[in-house]
Amino acid sequence: MVTNELKNRIRRLRFENGEMTQQQLADKTGVTRQTILAIEAGKYAPSLPLAFRIAQTFGVSIEAVFQYEDKSDKDS
Amino acid sequence: MNRAQKIAWSLVITISTGVILSGITTAILYVKVGMPKASAGLAFLGIAGLGGFSPLIFRKDKGKVTFDERDKSIKRRAALSGFAASYLFVGLACMLPFSVLGPMASISVGWLPNIFGGAALSFFFVWSVAILVQYGRGGKDGNK
Repeated sequence: MVTNELKNRIRRLRFENGEMTQQQLADKTGVTRQTILAIEAGKYAPSLPLAFRIAQTFGVSIEAVFQYEDKSDKDS
Repeated sequence: MNRAQKIAWSLVITISTGVILSGITTAILYVKVGMPKASAGLAFLGIAGLGGFSPLIFRKDKGKVTFDERDKSIKRRAALSGFAASYLFVGLACMLPFSVLGPMASISVGWLPNIFGGAALSFFFVWSVAILVQYGRGGKDGNK
């Protein structure tokens, strides 16, 4: 599944930004807390606009938040 | 647990209760009094209709944002699953009498509303289950 290949550093970035809660991040990015929780756990791959909003909230580039691992390359 | 999950749980409970009770009652009546009167047992399906009140019972979630892109995709997939289930139900309801009674037999048109109702029940049941499965049944992935 795609969600397993998308790693993120949201939890670390939240704590690095004044121990921001999931609810605060959710409010700033315009989603529910459940969605932040699902993204952090790698259960949900966010849309590109939401990924950009999350990165902008932390003031970093999108690559600093999300990392994509191409498993097909590793397998072959 | 958010509002959609609460509504889904109430629908699963009311539909399951209605279908199980009507199935048992119809089977008992079929053994005791035969088929035309045994269909009175289907009246228990009315319990399933109580699930229709759940959107009125469960108020909107508190918070700045109550609906986002993930909820939208979950509801879209759940609706697709529900439509697939109701399509399958109608297909089976059309093919079973043909297979069991034969191509020359005839059935009462009174069954048509029942098929329609059954399709609606199967839609809402599968829709609810799909909602609950996708949200993770209110466990690790849900608001507590």
